[in-house]
Amino acid sequence: MSDFKLDMEVNGRRVSKHTAGHLRLLDFIRDELDLTGTKEGCGAGECGTCSVFVDGKLVKSCLMPVAKANGAKIETIEGLAGTGVLTPVQRAFHKTGASQCGYCIPGMVMAATSALRENPGASAEELKERLGGNICRCTGYTKIFEAVEIARDVIAGRVGTQALEPEGAGDSYIGNNVRRLDAPSKVSGRLRYAGDMTMPHMLHMQVLRSPHAHARIVSIDTSEAEAMPGVECVITADDVPGEDGFGVFVHDQPIMARGSVRYVGEGIAAVAAENVETARRALSKIHVAYEELPAIFDPEEAMQPGAPVIHEYASDNIVKHIPIRKGDVKKGFAEADLIVEETYQTQQVEHAYLEPEAGIAYVDHDDVVTVISPSQNITHHRHMLAKIIDKPINKVRFIMSPVGGGFGGKEDMIYQGMLALAAMKTHRPVRLVYTREESIISTAKRHPARITYKMGLKNDGKITAIQFHMVSDGGAYGMSTEGVMRKAAILSCGPYDVANVQIDTIGVYTNNTPSGAFRTFGAMQAQFATESHLDICAERLGLDPFEIRRINMMRDGAFTHTKQKLGSVSLDEVLTAAETSSGWEAGAPDMRGPARKDLGGPGTREPCSLGARFEASSGKSKRQVA
Amino acid sequence: MQRKMRGRGMAASWYGIARTATIDRAGAWAELDDGGTAKIVTGVTEIGEGILTVLAQIAAEELGVKPEDITIGDNDTARSPEAAHAGATRQTYMIGNSVALACREAFARLVAELADHWDVEPDSIKAFDGEIWSEGSNFKTSMEDAVDVCKKRGVVPVGSGSFTAHGTGLDPEDGSGSPWQAYVYGCQVAEVEVDTVTGEVQVLGIWAAHDVGRAINPRGVEGQIEGGVVQGLGQALMEDYQLEDGHTKTHGFAKYILPTSLDIPQINTVIVEDPDPKSPLGAKGIGEPALVPTAPAIMNAIYDAVGVRITALPATPEKILAGLASLKDRKLQSVEAAE
Repeated sequence: MSDFKLDMEVNGRRVSKHTAGHLRLLDFIRDELDLTGTKEGCGAGECGTCSVFVDGKLVKSCLMPVAKANGAKIETIEGLAGTGVLTPVQRAFHKTGASQCGYCIPGMVMAATSALRENPGASAEELKERLGGNICRCTGYTKIFEAVEIARDVIAGRVGTQALEPEGAGDSYIGNNVRRLDAPSKVSGRLRYAGDMTMPHMLHMQVLRSPHAHARIVSIDTSEAEAMPGVECVITADDVPGEDGFGVFVHDQPIMARGSVRYVGEGIAAVAAENVETARRALSKIHVAYEELPAIFDPEEAMQPGAPVIHEYASDNIVKHIPIRKGDVKKGFAEADLIVEETYQTQQVEHAYLEPEAGIAYVDHDDVVTVISPSQNITHHRHMLAKIIDKPINKVRFIMSPVGGGFGGKEDMIYQGMLALAAMKTHRPVRLVYTREESIISTAKRHPARITYKMGLKNDGKITAIQFHMVSDGGAYGMSTEGVMRKAAILSCGPYDVANVQIDTIGVYTNNTPSGAFRTFGAMQAQFATESHLDICAERLGLDPFEIRRINMMRDGAFTHTKQKLGSVSLDEVLTAAETSSGWEAGAPDMRGPARKDLGGPGTREPCSLGARFEASSGKSKRQVA
Repeated sequence: MQRKMRGRGMAASWYGIARTATIDRAGAWAELDDGGTAKIVTGVTEIGEGILTVLAQIAAEELGVKPEDITIGDNDTARSPEAAHAGATRQTYMIGNSVALACREAFARLVAELADHWDVEPDSIKAFDGEIWSEGSNFKTSMEDAVDVCKKRGVVPVGSGSFTAHGTGLDPEDGSGSPWQAYVYGCQVAEVEVDTVTGEVQVLGIWAAHDVGRAINPRGVEGQIEGGVVQGLGQALMEDYQLEDGHTKTHGFAKYILPTSLDIPQINTVIVEDPDPKSPLGAKGIGEPALVPTAPAIMNAIYDAVGVRITALPATPEKILAGLASLKDRKLQSVEAAE
C-alpha cells in the first residue's frame, strides 16, 4: 500500500492528504473525509448510489481509483446544499415523497441534478433515460420522476417555488399528505445508516464463507490468522457460550457453521482486525478441512426416501406442511361442468435492498452487549441473542439503525450474533459491512414455488372445488419458511367463496441458498397461480375476467378457506374501482388484445426502445413540423 | 401477427394485516412536552415505508399539535416499549393504533387539568395544530400554555398504549382458524406491449385499486403501491436468482436484473377506504398487498396480447418467443389437419 499525496477540491474546499494508492474515490470520500452521504450499493458501477461529480461530470465513485481524481474538483451530495437550504431538486424530492428508505437517494439526487445541469429543458422521457443508471428498490421511481419534473420547472422559472411548499394542514392531519419527516436527512445525505457509523477504537469484521453446498467440517485451524499483526480475534462456533441456534420459527441455524455446512456462502468463521484489508487477508490464513457430503438441490427430490438428510431433526427434509381442508373436494369436482388443471412455478427472488447488511456491536459500561443494525425485528433478535450468548435479556440491547430497504430480508438475525461474539471477545466495538456479492450469495431469498392446481367450475362460472398443492424450496435453514407456508396456504385460493377446498403447502430443506421472509410472505406465489388459473377458466367458459371473479368473490359475512367469518368485504368495490379507472372493455380473455378498443389511453406511457429516447423526441417534433 | 402486440389483463388479491395466526401486540409511550411539542417512544424505525411520518400524523391529530413538533424515539430494546417487527403489513395497524391509544391517555391527562383550570367540561376541550380550546366558551390558548398550566398544577401529561390484534392459530388437521382480524383486498389491471420479434414485454400502464382501511397519508400509500407494483413487475419479467449445484450464477446487479427507470409503467392508483371496525384508527395497511396482483395481471395481459400463457415466472423474452413458436406450430398443424 504505497502512500501518495492527493490534492483536490471537495465541495468547494481544498483537500490535501496522504492516502493509500489502492483506494477507490468512494473509499476516500467516505473513510478519509467522513462524507458518508455517498453510499456504496454494489461496488461495481451497477446501482448508482455512489454517484458524485468529478470536474462537473457525474461519476460512479466506486469505479474511479482515487489517484485518478488527483487535482480534480469533487462535488458530493453534502456539497449540493452545504449547510444552507436544500436545492430545488432536494426540495422537490421532499415534496413528492420521492425518498422511501433513502439509501439510493443521494445518488439519485446527484443523477437528477446532473440531468438538469446538462439539459435544463429535458423532457420527462429524457429524464427517465438520464436516471437509468440509478437503481431504486422502494419507490417504483414514479415519485422520483414527479420530483425531477417539478424541480426542472422551478429552476426554469416555469412554475413558482410554491410548487415546492408543503400542502396546508386543512382540518385534520389524517388523510393529509404531510411531507415525510425523514426526507430532509435523506435527500441531503445526512442520515447515517449502520455502515456509515464509526466508533472510537473500532475493529472491522470479515467472514469466511463455505465454498461447499454440503460438507462436514473436519477441522478449523485459526492459529495462523490469529497470529497476524492487526488481527484482534477470530471467532468460530466454539466461541458461542449458550444455546447456538436462531431462526424465526425453528432455531436450526447456528451463528456460524457448527460441524457441517449446508449451503454455499454459509459463515464459518469471522475475523475482527484493525482494518478491513487485514481482516480480509486473515481469512485466507484460516484453514478448514472439509469432507464433502452428498447435496440435494431439488425440493421434490429432497422429500424422496433415501435422500440426504440436511437437519437431523427432520429426517424427511420437510420444514413444514400446512394443510387446509374445507368441505368435500371429491363431491365438488363431481358437481363440476369443467375441470382445469395446470402447474405453475415461481422463481427465487433477491430482495436487492440497496443497503447491504451492516452493523456495529459493542459491550457497554454496564456489560450490556449492544448491537446496532438495520434489523427488522429487534424484539425477537434480543430474545435469541440472549440465549445464544447466555445472558439475561436486559444485558442484551438491540438498536435498529435506519433500514436502507428491508422487504423482509432483514428479519433474520444472520450476522448480528457474530458481531456480538467478537465484541465480547475483544471488548472493542466491531463493525461488519457486507459487500453486494456477499449479501446476494449468503442471505435469504423469496421462496420459489411449484404449484399444481385443479379447479372445478359450473358452466355459469361458479367454482365448485379447488385442489391446491405447493412445494417450496426453503433452502438450507428454516428461517421464515413455516410462516411463509402458512400464509401461502391461508390466502392461496384467493378472496373467493369456495365450498370445497383442499390446500397443502410444503416447505422443504435443500442445500440451496435459504429462502426467507420477502414482502407478501408466500401470498404472491400462491395468488399468482389462482389469478392465472381463473383467467384460463374464464376463457374456457366465455366469461369476462371481472365477471368470473364477481361470481365467486367473498361478500360481507363470507367464510374464508380457514372457516373464519368475515365482516365487511371491500372486494366488489375494489374490482369496480380498477375496472372503471382503467376503462376496461368487457369480454372473455381469449387473446382479444388485437381487437380491444381500450388500449393506449391516458393511463399509459409511450413504449420505448432502449437508447432511442433522444432521437424519438426529435423525430416526433419533425413529424409535427411536416 | 404484427410485430408489436398489445393486450390487457387483470388480477385480484387479498391479504391479512399484522402477524399471522397469532395474537399480535405493540406498545407505545407518549408525552405532551414543553413548548407545545410532544414525544412518542415506541420500538420502531423507518424501513422506508413512511411509518415515522404516519406516527407523527397520528400523534399530531390525537394531541392537537403539528406533526413537525413530534419527536419520535428510536427503536431500541433498552429504551422503548416493544413494538416488535417491521413487517407483516403491521406498522400502521399495530404501532399506529398503540400510538393513538398512548396519545389519548396523555391528552386526557392534560384535558383533566385544563378543564378544572377553566372550569369547563372535559368533553368540551378540543385541540388542533398547536391550539387548544373549549367549545361553547371563549377559552382558547396555545398548546405551549396548556402544557405549562398542566405542569404548574403538578401533572406531567404522559400516556401509554398497548394495542392487540386477535388472531388465532390454525387447526393442525384441517387448518381452520381466524388468522387475522383485518383483511384488505386489491385489484390491478395491466396493459402490455409484446415485441413478437424480440420477445420483450413492456408494461405501459397499471391501474391499482387497493383497500387500505383509511389512508393516513395518501401520498405515502401511493408510494407503497408504486413500489410494490414495480417489485411485482420485476418478478414478473426479469428477476431470477439462479443457482447451479448450490452456487449462485447471479451474484451482482449485472446478472441479477432489476427494474430501472425505463421499465416503469404509468401507475394509476385508486385508494379505496373500508375502515377497520376493530381498531381506533380504522386504518389497515398496504405494504405487502400492493405487489400481490401485479405479476398475474401482467401474465394475463401477455396472454391477451399474443396468446402465450406463461405459467413459470419470469416471462423472459426467451419464454415468450418459445411460446410464440409453439403457437405457430399448432396453427400449422391444424391447417394441415384441415387440408
